[in-house]
Amino acid sequence: MSRTTKPGAAVLRRAVARNGRRLWAGTVLAGVYQLCAALVPVLIGVIVDRAVDTGDVGALLLWIGVLAATYLVLTVTYRFGARNLQRAIAREGHLLRVEVAAKILHPRGLRTDRRPGDLLTVSTTDAEYTSYVLDHIPRVTSALVAAAVSAITLLVISWPLGLIVLIATPIVLAVLNLTAPLIARRVADQQEQAGRATSLATDLVTGLRPLRGIGAQDAAAERYRAVSRLSLAATLRSSRTQNAYQGASTMLSTLLAGGIAIVAGWFALTGRITIGQFITVIGSAQFLIEPFGTLAIVPSWYATARASADRVAGVIGSGLVLPDGTAEPDEPACELRLTGVEHGPLSGLDLHVRPGEFVGVVAHRAADADALVRLLAVPDAYEGTILLSGVPLETVERDRARRLLHVEPHQADLFTGTLGSNIDLRADGGDHLPRALRAAAADQLAGLDTPVTERGTNLSGGQRQRVALARALLARPPLLVLHHPTSAVDAVTEQVIAGGIRALRHDDQARFGTVVITSSPALLAAADRVVVIADGAVTAEGSHAGLSATDEAYRRAVLR
Amino acid sequence: MTGQILPIADGRRTRAWLGAELWQRKGSSAVTLAAGLLAAGASIIPAYALGLLVDRIRAGSEPGAILGVAVTIVAAAVAGGVATGVAGHLISRLGSRILADLREQTVATALRLPALVLDRAGRGDLLSRVSADIAAIGRAVSEFLPGMISALLLTTLSLIAMAGLDWRLGLAGALSVPLYVIGLRWYLPRAAPSYAAERVAIADRSQLFVEGMQGLATVHAYRLEDRHRADIETASARARDISMSVFGLYTRFVGRINRAELIGLGAVLVTGFLLVRSGQVTVGEVSAAALLFHRLFNPMAMLMATFDRAQDAGASLARLVGVLGMPVEQRDGAEPPPGRELALDDVSFAYGDGPPVLDGVSLRVAPGERVALVGSTGAGKTTAASLAAGILRPDRGRATVGGVAVTDLPASTVAIVSQETHVFAGPLADDLRLARPAATDDEVTAALARVGALTWARDLPAGLGTVVGDGGHALTAAQAQQLALARVVLLDPPVVVLDEATAEAGSAGARDLEQAAAAALEGRTALVVAHRLTQAAAADRVIVMEHGTIVESGPHADLVAAGGRYADLWAAWSARS
Repeated sequence: MSRTTKPGAAVLRRAVARNGRRLWAGTVLAGVYQLCAALVPVLIGVIVDRAVDTGDVGALLLWIGVLAATYLVLTVTYRFGARNLQRAIAREGHLLRVEVAAKILHPRGLRTDRRPGDLLTVSTTDAEYTSYVLDHIPRVTSALVAAAVSAITLLVISWPLGLIVLIATPIVLAVLNLTAPLIARRVADQQEQAGRATSLATDLVTGLRPLRGIGAQDAAAERYRAVSRLSLAATLRSSRTQNAYQGASTMLSTLLAGGIAIVAGWFALTGRITIGQFITVIGSAQFLIEPFGTLAIVPSWYATARASADRVAGVIGSGLVLPDGTAEPDEPACELRLTGVEHGPLSGLDLHVRPGEFVGVVAHRAADADALVRLLAVPDAYEGTILLSGVPLETVERDRARRLLHVEPHQADLFTGTLGSNIDLRADGGDHLPRALRAAAADQLAGLDTPVTERGTNLSGGQRQRVALARALLARPPLLVLHHPTSAVDAVTEQVIAGGIRALRHDDQARFGTVVITSSPALLAAADRVVVIADGAVTAEGSHAGLSATDEAYRRAVLR
Repeated sequence: MTGQILPIADGRRTRAWLGAELWQRKGSSAVTLAAGLLAAGASIIPAYALGLLVDRIRAGSEPGAILGVAVTIVAAAVAGGVATGVAGHLISRLGSRILADLREQTVATALRLPALVLDRAGRGDLLSRVSADIAAIGRAVSEFLPGMISALLLTTLSLIAMAGLDWRLGLAGALSVPLYVIGLRWYLPRAAPSYAAERVAIADRSQLFVEGMQGLATVHAYRLEDRHRADIETASARARDISMSVFGLYTRFVGRINRAELIGLGAVLVTGFLLVRSGQVTVGEVSAAALLFHRLFNPMAMLMATFDRAQDAGASLARLVGVLGMPVEQRDGAEPPPGRELALDDVSFAYGDGPPVLDGVSLRVAPGERVALVGSTGAGKTTAASLAAGILRPDRGRATVGGVAVTDLPASTVAIVSQETHVFAGPLADDLRLARPAATDDEVTAALARVGALTWARDLPAGLGTVVGDGGHALTAAQAQQLALARVVLLDPPVVVLDEATAEAGSAGARDLEQAAAAALEGRTALVVAHRLTQAAAADRVIVMEHGTIVESGPHADLVAAGGRYADLWAAWSARS
């Protein structure tokens, strides 16, 4: 069994197993609740038959009392049943979310081809849908209970009637369910069109200034109108389908309940059943539609939960990119040596960064720089050697490797909080903080308690870049790799930063190593040595001044 | 930035707006209402007929007595089914059409809000209105409002029908209505803050997820995995706990709904019992009343459970109607200007009650001339540029093109490109066509070629059809700014203002962008706020601003030779590269 089932089934089984107590308690209570709900129409019939029809006050009091007692049980079982189930669902959703998040954030890196957006869906929507399996079980159970009670009531009153109901109801529901895929398609289309209109509105308002700058508001409003009309058309299409279904379903279920009532009425007129039984039949037949409806729709719910569970299991079961490193190279002064590295566009790259050295790297192709940075952050799938203080980089214990060799990503990701919380990540910067801020030319930004909104969107690109640089400098890694750290910063500030890095990391005492991949003359001039990479390998090496004087290609690449 | 918020319509204005919308469509509103009543009425008939049948059974009628009842039930089922479908569609059609007009007007208004209003309110509020609020009403219209309206009609008609059997039966059933209301009034004020807290907790959670996943490289680089996971766990646990407590509240609300059902049903049965005893109604009529009332349980529960969502949709509506009432910028001059000279005449400007940012500034840019505006931060360069482009209106003085006030000219007379870039989501060519919707493919290509963007644009995965912007292929800041310049070329305005349009690309792309800007400006009257002085050096004339006034003006060489403020700036600039 375990070999043939998909991983999603195991996730679902585990969800059921680890919420067992609440799930089964909730299911039993939900079953009792359904039983009570099914009893209400039966009791209406009984009260009319035994009390209203006879004028017997004692019977009235008795049966109203029974009705009240039924409601009491119904309310209590709903409250505690539903709470138990909801708790189980909320808990399972939480556990899955945390589990998926932990896997995605694993220091050794998740081996997956899913994009961040997909992973986000898995960790939120899919985790939630998977937990809904805990809702399906009690629903099926109580639908079965309700159907059984109603059916038995009907069969006891009159077996031909009971049979008619039990055969006709599923047929009607099956017919109605034939339209389910069409409705699902139309609704999905409607939601997609509505989503497009929403993103367009967001996009246009976000770009309002540039739009206004070219007087394109009318064109933009017209573009939105076109998408809005498409969305309206999709909504109307979906409404037609859904309401046609609604109409047909109302008609068929009324015909079914009415047909049963007519047959029951005929039986009553011919004396085969009593009036009370007649009313009970009507109520029960009406009531039966709901549990049968649940039973009909459950397979599609389960399919959704199962599909989500498969995706969750896919992430949880994914492998990790890097091996579990154990090596512990020398700490204070680090040295980096790449020899004959082949990876993506890199072909035979040699690069040596000595302890305390400030190396500028100019890459004629952006892809070479990207590959180099990627490789230093995640040393996977390459040929040649990358040695960190003499030890292959991928074998170094991950935490230590990243502490010794820090690769600052180019895109300058910030997190919600304040400028301070983004720069001084561990709130242990102390005296180093103002120095790092100064070196990154970030001391003139607003105060450190300035809020930073999601992903730093309230800062300009240049501000984000300086904040990220200050953060990297404050971390004081023995080896720091920066990737175009000043691409969104003006030339004056760039000059300040070049001097700042030099002063902070390469004064007489510090033995920090710094690698800056850049085309900024200011940064390159501040470096001890400049290495030029073209076509995946090092083609030139020297000082900025020397290369500027002799190498025409270099001059073109760095000239401002 | 967000000191003020955009207006929110009060209840009276929102209702008045809705009333006016319905009145405008009075024909289809009336038909919709009629269909809804027909559907509700048809669904009541079977219960009535069954009550009749009960009486016939008690009277010991012939089996043939079933025939009339049977025909009635079948006819009502068929008519009721058709009416339900038609009414449901008409209701959502009416709602969707009103919504479509509403969202289009809201977005059109939002796009034309004056720059000052928007700067003061911040863009966040407006963004949430055109996205979250519109989506909330959209969901309401397509998911639960039609159902609520049907349920309301059914409830009303059922109570009337019960009262029609005997007014006391109707009254007994109506006894449950205040109980439902009490339940709602108990629940809503307790639930609303919890739901709000739940939404905040869920938003916090997803924000942590988004940041963690999109910033994964940074999380790894700084070894923040454990901390991030712990944060996610905390946020997720908080959302879980709040949703559990909200749900506890909800189950108690359901208990109150059950109580209303029991008391209503009990009252109908006891009243029926008494009325039958005194011979005022028949057993069949009591049965019909009880069946009618039992049938209301589901629609009523639905009505109760969606009430808060309807309230939320109402709040969203008030926020949209609030935007609709805002004054918009009117730039409806249709006549092109008689000349191409750009002029600011003795212009002063202050933001709100603040100190003057510009004080008596006069400048003139001759047709086809390229003038650079330089000065330190806060000198008023951007404000002068915005006034020249008609985005701000001067407090005093005039901004004109060809002698006509800029704000009275068509918006396409003066284009302004600032350092704030935006790549509009969608195919690259569509982004450009915002400037001129009717542009041919050749014109789009030519505009890209002019600013030197055609090579990389053709190299994109699907060429000019590549989806760029949010969710599409990511462009660099320099590429985005080249697109902005290409839009200007396509628009072909006589006057262009560039406000540090080459700054955001950073040092790396600045040179290419300057060439692109020069190409885009060719043959146009141009005012260029320059933060790289190479641009000033290449201009026909340089104007230096300090503290809201013009301090120097003249060709680059003359100013450098004069040894004034500009000469200082130029010396500092030349020294560093």
